[in-house]
Amino acid sequence: MSAMTAVVQAEGLTKYYGRRRGLEDLTLEIQPGEVFGYLGPNGAGKTTTIRLLLDVIRPTRGLVRVLGEDTRTPAVRNRIGYLPGELALEGREKAREYLEFLAKVRGGVPAARIDGLAERLDADLGVPMRKLSKGNKQKIGLIQAFMHEPEFLILDEPTSGLDPLVQQEFLAMVREVRASGRTVLMSSHVLAEVEHVSDRVGIVRGGRLVAVENVAALREKAVRRVELHFDAPVPREAFEGLPGVRDLRIEGASLRCTIDGRPDALVKAAAKFTVVHMVSAEPDLEEIFLTYYSEAS
Amino acid sequence: MIVRTLREYRRALVGWAVGISAFLAMYVGVYASIRESPETYSQAAVAKYPGALRDLMGGLEDFTTGTGYLQSVVYQLFVPMMFVFAALTVANRAIAQPEEAGTLELTVTLPVDRRRLVLDRFAGLVLGLLAAAAVTFLVTYGVAQTIEMGVPFDRLLAAHTGVLLLALFFGTVALAVGAAVGRRAPASAVVGGWAVAGYVVVTIGRNVDAIAWLKWVSPWHYYLEGKPLSTGWPWGDYLVLAAATAVLLLTAVLSFDRRDVGV
Ligand SMILES: Nc1ncnc2c1ncn2[C@@H]1O[C@H](COP(=O)(O)OP(=O)(O)OP(=O)(O)O)[C@@H](O)[C@H]1O
Ligand SMILES: [Mg+2]
Repeated sequence: MSAMTAVVQAEGLTKYYGRRRGLEDLTLEIQPGEVFGYLGPNGAGKTTTIRLLLDVIRPTRGLVRVLGEDTRTPAVRNRIGYLPGELALEGREKAREYLEFLAKVRGGVPAARIDGLAERLDADLGVPMRKLSKGNKQKIGLIQAFMHEPEFLILDEPTSGLDPLVQQEFLAMVREVRASGRTVLMSSHVLAEVEHVSDRVGIVRGGRLVAVENVAALREKAVRRVELHFDAPVPREAFEGLPGVRDLRIEGASLRCTIDGRPDALVKAAAKFTVVHMVSAEPDLEEIFLTYYSEAS
Repeated sequence: MIVRTLREYRRALVGWAVGISAFLAMYVGVYASIRESPETYSQAAVAKYPGALRDLMGGLEDFTTGTGYLQSVVYQLFVPMMFVFAALTVANRAIAQPEEAGTLELTVTLPVDRRRLVLDRFAGLVLGLLAAAAVTFLVTYGVAQTIEMGVPFDRLLAAHTGVLLLALFFGTVALAVGAAVGRRAPASAVVGGWAVAGYVVVTIGRNVDAIAWLKWVSPWHYYLEGKPLSTGWPWGDYLVLAAATAVLLLTAVLSFDRRDVGV
């Protein structure tokens, strides 16, 4: 197997549940070492795609290979860590016992690694699983996905139910996985959750992949909100028609607008006046993301 | 995987084994007093179960001898039926229940072949039922010895093996339906329907020409026909039960290997 074998290779991948469409004609490649954010609203087809990659469900049409292998090969699943979107953990069994069982089936994991992950995520392994809260179940799910240090992590809505502190820790874990050259596919409803760790994002809607974007490129296209405050009222004409400036609103001594691309023209125009205060928000990728949503509908 | 399967079955198995053992100890023990006054009991029984109902109970012939009593009261209906339902409960835990609960999804994403998974679940069912059969056998034999019932060890073993095979057959029916559709209700319906209808066919139905032939598809026929308590091992009948179980297992393996999980 060459180093360049795609981790995910899907061609015309289609899944119908009876007559209901789950996923239509997905063609996608994910390369080794990449973190891929898989975004879409409820019912878009994210879980369907992920279940196809893991051979939980079988495609109606199309081809899919994972880590260069047929998804039906049981051995390939040993190289994958999987967090289900609808994680169910039940019974009187303690979380630690369940993790030990999973570790054994996957060929063994040092106990120290399980403990280390539990500590990072602040998970209690001594509680019967049915008594765990949603977020605490999610932590167990994350531990079992990460613990055998798989080449490829498939995480279906990994942050759902986690508190902000644990979310940060989780994102740090994803960065470490990327730093070690391994690959991650994670789904989410919101770009904000994945934009800081993803190299690329794919947007799926109504069963179709409507866009795949490089996050850096997306950020360049991003719309920025800018606010300028002057020491005296400014004339509207001085700012009208500037390249890249949109939604211009001037109220007395303050100016609000959004900027598409470079802020250069605006800065130069503002330099003719006395600027007392300036606010520029983080590029709002969410906004671009939402335009994809509305375009496709 | 087998070890874990057994763990998952454990509670259901222990419960049923204890229940059936208690039932056996009690009913076999009661024989002591029946033997004391056979006339009273046989007349009372005939009076209590007239006509068709007596057919349903397997005739209730001669239940004042040790063998006859065991045959008609213990091995005719109650114990095998309890074992069948024990097998159903346990077999439902193999695939259908975890699939309904959503826990099966993670299991099938482990590096284990789907066919292997079904086989391991079946192995757990066999071992679990075997353990329950062994315990209940020892209880029955122990009580029968204590009250000097006069039933030979190997005859009792032959009868108890029949119970095990019958339970295993119906358990595998449940496993196969669960493997094919992933839900408990259809599995329970098929087993319940087949077990009850099958029993009626070989008892009351025996005298009704129109449905008498149905006995060939009733597992009860192969269980009851050989009368192992009085005649010893009915090898042929038991082989039919075992072979049918094997066929069901094969369909379970093939259907689970083919389908989507959790949809
Ligand atoms: N078991 C099923 N039977 C029938 N239709 C299904 C089934 N599972 C999913 N679908 C349909 O397939 C489509 C895609 O569902 P999927 O679960 O992949 O969405 P998703 O993107 O994961 O959504 P969410 O964000 O809500 O998790 C939906 O229209 C859904 O109704
Ligand atoms: Mg989903």
